[in-house]
Amino acid sequence: MTTLVDRREAPEAGVGYRTVAAMVREWAEQKPDGVAMREKEFGIWQEISWAQLWDQILNAAHGLLALGVSRGDRVSIHSEDRPEWVILDFATVAIRGITVGLYPTNPAPEVEYILGDAGSIVHLAEDQEQADKVIEVLDRLPSLKRIIHVEPRGFREYREDDSFFYWDDFIELGRSHRQENPGEVEQIMAEAEGDDVLTLIYTSGTTGPPKGAMCTNANVTYCLETVVNHPDRTGTDPISDDDILLTYLPLCHVAERIFSAWTMASNGPSLNFAESIETVQQNLREIQPTIFFSVPRIWEKIHATVLIKLNDATLLKKLVAKPSMAAARYIGRKRVERGGDFTPIAKIVYWVFNALFFRGLKERIGLRRCRYAASGAAPIAPEVLEFFMGLGVPVYELYGMTENTAVATTNFPGRAKVGTVGEPYDRSTLRIDEETGEIQTQHPGVFKGYWNKPEKTAETFTEDGWLKTGDVGQWVDGTHVKIVDRIKDIIITSGGKNISPSEIENSLKTSPYIKEAMVIGDGRKFVSALLAIEFDTVGDWATRRGIPYTTYRDLSEKPEVIELMQSIVDETNSKFARVESIKTFRMIPKELDHEDGELTATQKLKRASMAEMFGDLIDGMYGS
Amino acid sequence: MRGRPLLHTSYVSDQAIFNSGTKKVLVGLFLLILALMPLGVIPGLKWAATNSWMRVFGEVAVLLIAALGLNILTGLAGQVSLGHAFFMGIGAYTAAILGGPEGPLWGLGLPIWVWLPAAGAVAALVGVVIAPTSLRVRGLYLAIVTLGLVFIGEHLFRNFDFITGGSQSGRTFPPLELKLWKEEAPIVSFQTDGSWFGIELSSQAKMFYLLVAFAIVASLLAKNIQRSRAGRAFQSIRDRDIAAEITGVDEFRYKTLAFAISSGYAGVAGALFAAFVSRTIPEAFGLPLSVEVIAIVLIGGAGIVSGMVLGSLFVIVLPLIVQNLTEWLSDLARSGEGIVQSIADFFVATGTFDFGLISSLPGSSPGLNVFQFNQVLYGLLIVGFIIFEPLGLYGIWVRIRNYWKGWPFTY
Repeated sequence: MTTLVDRREAPEAGVGYRTVAAMVREWAEQKPDGVAMREKEFGIWQEISWAQLWDQILNAAHGLLALGVSRGDRVSIHSEDRPEWVILDFATVAIRGITVGLYPTNPAPEVEYILGDAGSIVHLAEDQEQADKVIEVLDRLPSLKRIIHVEPRGFREYREDDSFFYWDDFIELGRSHRQENPGEVEQIMAEAEGDDVLTLIYTSGTTGPPKGAMCTNANVTYCLETVVNHPDRTGTDPISDDDILLTYLPLCHVAERIFSAWTMASNGPSLNFAESIETVQQNLREIQPTIFFSVPRIWEKIHATVLIKLNDATLLKKLVAKPSMAAARYIGRKRVERGGDFTPIAKIVYWVFNALFFRGLKERIGLRRCRYAASGAAPIAPEVLEFFMGLGVPVYELYGMTENTAVATTNFPGRAKVGTVGEPYDRSTLRIDEETGEIQTQHPGVFKGYWNKPEKTAETFTEDGWLKTGDVGQWVDGTHVKIVDRIKDIIITSGGKNISPSEIENSLKTSPYIKEAMVIGDGRKFVSALLAIEFDTVGDWATRRGIPYTTYRDLSEKPEVIELMQSIVDETNSKFARVESIKTFRMIPKELDHEDGELTATQKLKRASMAEMFGDLIDGMYGS
Repeated sequence: MRGRPLLHTSYVSDQAIFNSGTKKVLVGLFLLILALMPLGVIPGLKWAATNSWMRVFGEVAVLLIAALGLNILTGLAGQVSLGHAFFMGIGAYTAAILGGPEGPLWGLGLPIWVWLPAAGAVAALVGVVIAPTSLRVRGLYLAIVTLGLVFIGEHLFRNFDFITGGSQSGRTFPPLELKLWKEEAPIVSFQTDGSWFGIELSSQAKMFYLLVAFAIVASLLAKNIQRSRAGRAFQSIRDRDIAAEITGVDEFRYKTLAFAISSGYAGVAGALFAAFVSRTIPEAFGLPLSVEVIAIVLIGGAGIVSGMVLGSLFVIVLPLIVQNLTEWLSDLARSGEGIVQSIADFFVATGTFDFGLISSLPGSSPGLNVFQFNQVLYGLLIVGFIIFEPLGLYGIWVRIRNYWKGWPFTY
């Protein structure tokens, strides 16, 4: 298997700009037999070597050429994370096309909007479910020529229709094109430039329709230099080809793309695809990744799972768990004070309880071999960070956004400050506006603009060319940045007080029983909240107390559950000033969902549509 | 991937028999003990090197082979059979006809490499003939049909006295020795004392080595059958025969196969058993033997190969414990004092008109004799294990292991 890429197909071609595709080619040359990816199939993690990966990428790139995709054309991908996602993505980059990723949860109208806006030519729909969303709106998408599907099931009736391609046939098409035109892809790669747009990342759109942020090769290069390979980043060693990643968050999101596909290409760790979001905890246990990036939702979920499972443990285990958890809290507190480092006593306590308890616990949650963990994409509660620090899995919060390729701030090992999003990678690239308190960045990672939306692009930049993030922040000790809230989310009560709702919401969400919270109070006399329970944990809680329930709604409205919520609200209120305390709250009677329009694809609240949908609940609280 | 026991990148690692370092070490240690035990060099296990204990462990190995066979039929394929002793009998008498000494009774005096495989093959063939009944009757009814088989078998064995020697005298079986053909001096004899590689060994120790070697081969074979396509088919039939058929498992074919493999094992075990005891009567292959094998399967842990090892050790060693206990109690009843004597006297009959639970006297006296008491004990243990620990002794081990595996959670 040590054949392949001596680039004999186009030996005279140069190397061109070092795109992510070119990086994969380098790995395929250096260690063709090394494991690039693993995907679980029928219970077995099937390995894909660098040579095989590059071979597939070349075939797919030739396939795209055969389908008439040329420089700057858009190729959209609507799929769960799987090797084909990354292969088609890198193949598109190789021929200087533009990838457009869609969230698997995107409903048909959003698919229509994004494909229409991007003007996608070739579309990959993972399976029948995703394909149905496109077929529904196909006649309104004139530019879309081909639909590739990875799963063959359910496509029998389209077999004669040549606008549908089965993945294997597509690769076969690429293979024959490659035989007829050897080296064509290599030639195109040699012409690649830093200014080429490689992907459109559609922002989740908490307000208006999604906007496609144009991300260039140079943006990616800068992002990899800072976010992934900053010398202070992983403390001791940089990410290497011995590292192991697990990918499960949507790859169309900038953070997941950086921490999985792009990190794989630049640093060479193996990329493992979780089976689905439901099996993440099981897959984590199997893979035991060494580098793990996740969103607060997952960290909170792991935290809640640990608490509940310990609560259900047998007597002896409980007897050990009690002092161990107290030790974890102690260590966590000490480490938080020291910016992530141990005090000597904390180190000894950690050593004892690690052997006794933490090691087993970390093995069960799949973080035993994790040497660097990060949280981003949404604010995380300090309690959760402290918990993981106590266990010996320090989670470093970082901050960034699509428009600056996630390059803004991060907490570095040894200098972390819980409650802040850390320090700028380079002090000169970030500033906080004196007047509005808005965080602004300017560096080579800042995007080229929104696709087809020059006026929106102009709105995003200040007059002197800095990117407006839309987040209000403040300096902590002159080095670290603390995010207050989104500018447009800040609540000004009728009394004229400024309140940051997300801080209160996060405090509420620390409780394992609350899944979502929306704090309301803009232009009102007092602050109130809408709460959504975490069905599993509250269900478990109710079962223990012998409270019978049927549905989500029924459980939400039980007087005992409302009492439980009241106690959590009271606890939160005690942490905030009087004007910020929640006077009253209502239970949301349904599970919030992307498809119903209450959440964005990244599970962020769409406040406007929430306020509309649950208007009667809100009105009830304010008695109008 | 090192340090990631749950990450399987191939079916080979997913299905490995020894899938952890601990298992490899434990099995290696166990084999080492087996190899050194007859030499009497292991401190603390010197007693095991005596002839009487070597004989006991030899019997354990033979019954283990029988139990591995029944385990495939009952534990894996879920077909309860009480007829295992019948198949063991078929194997034993096939061996007798082919390998037994030429004389008044049938016997061709052929060497072991003929009679042992033939014993397995003939028993397997009979199994194939019996198998179709399992398609017509299930569960308890199959148990009754196979129970009938044991009685038919016993009747036939008793009446074919030109082969079996009849109930009075029985017959001698082929000796455990390796010959090329019918020559006088065997290449290796397991039934005479002698030295191997310069080490003096008793005949019992030699037989122990031979039988343990057969048992190891049989165990590995059973384990491999279990993780093969056929093994998975057996388990699917056990769990839900209709669902198994729907997913493409040919019920007739696999039930027949299970019967064939199981009776093949029984045939080999029966032949070895007969050769091991060297002379026995047809009644030896009656219901009590079936019960003993069933007890091994259920007490050890149905469906689990290593459970069979635990089960056969337990079931064979248990009577010895009972016997020693009885002797100790009767001593106590004769010479003890006060309350201790009364308690001992309650359990053991020491005189003709003493109505104790177990009689230590020879001949027929009130109460049960040790052998009968053992049968009662097996019955009680089977009932107890099925109710309280369906996975048998192995299940107890699994629970201990899972307790630590799950640390610090419970599930």
